[in-house]
Amino acid sequence: MTVIAGSTPDTDQQTDVEQLIDTDIPWVVIVWNDPVNLMSYVSFVFQSYFGYSDAKAHRLMMEVHEQGKSVVANGAKEKMEQHTTAMHSYGLWATYQKAD
Amino acid sequence: MAKAFRNTRKGIAGYLEPGERDLVRKLFGDIITMLEPDEVANEDPLAAMVGLDEKAETPSDPALFRLLPNAVNNDDDEALEFRRLTERSLRETKVGALRAASLALDSSRLLLDYEQGQIFSRALNDVRLVLAQRLEIESTEDADRIHEVLEPSQAEDVEQYLALVYNFTTWLQESLMQALVDQLDQRGQQPPEPPGDQ
Repeated sequence: MTVIAGSTPDTDQQTDVEQLIDTDIPWVVIVWNDPVNLMSYVSFVFQSYFGYSDAKAHRLMMEVHEQGKSVVANGAKEKMEQHTTAMHSYGLWATYQKAD
Repeated sequence: MAKAFRNTRKGIAGYLEPGERDLVRKLFGDIITMLEPDEVANEDPLAAMVGLDEKAETPSDPALFRLLPNAVNNDDDEALEFRRLTERSLRETKVGALRAASLALDSSRLLLDYEQGQIFSRALNDVRLVLAQRLEIESTEDADRIHEVLEPSQAEDVEQYLALVYNFTTWLQESLMQALVDQLDQRGQQPPEPPGDQ
């Protein structure tokens, strides 16, 4: 992602239980890093589309940025397909797959 | 000179010179042209109505592929099947946002509400994705190289001109995101606890 000076929020140290993927839930949406999407934009999409808290959206965005990808949703296949298309409508690079 | 977006009592306000508006409108128009599906003769009207496109193929243009990426990795058959079920609707969603964003460019003083701001940011994002493909921005280092082109006097060839345009749209989108994030924060905030000694 593109880092704009002054817009990089503090590193989010928070960990929460949502970070753990429930292995009983078989499908996930993964958002992949790219050098174009703004960090502020990616975080905003996670917040406004998924309804995630500022802290969670920021943590997922940083995961994408630093680790190259992040699981941003999990659940039934049909729902994950919808989320993937929605991410594409925002210009985020997303795929769905079975959870590992 | 353009002015950054900011929140005002009337909404998210921005300012673009006429030449800058023409440029952004042209960019939106270019992406619309890329995304509009080709007219298909003898098309099944029911399939079109529900957004199916049995003949959709993986785009050969990398910029179009970035706008309409595969939804599945490592399984081309499933990716193509999903594309045939969803790509037409995705194209229409994107074109709708780009058209709506173009309408906001009717005057130099831009005034957007929260929803219009979101739509405008999506349109700018699609423009940047396409410009980035043309500029071959594939890594953070590439992006940094492009960000160094800031002065119009530096633009000596097409690539450098595109880099200027990319940096301009990046700046514009970033300022819009700050305004949108502030609005989202305000929406998400609970009313403050009333002061008192309960």
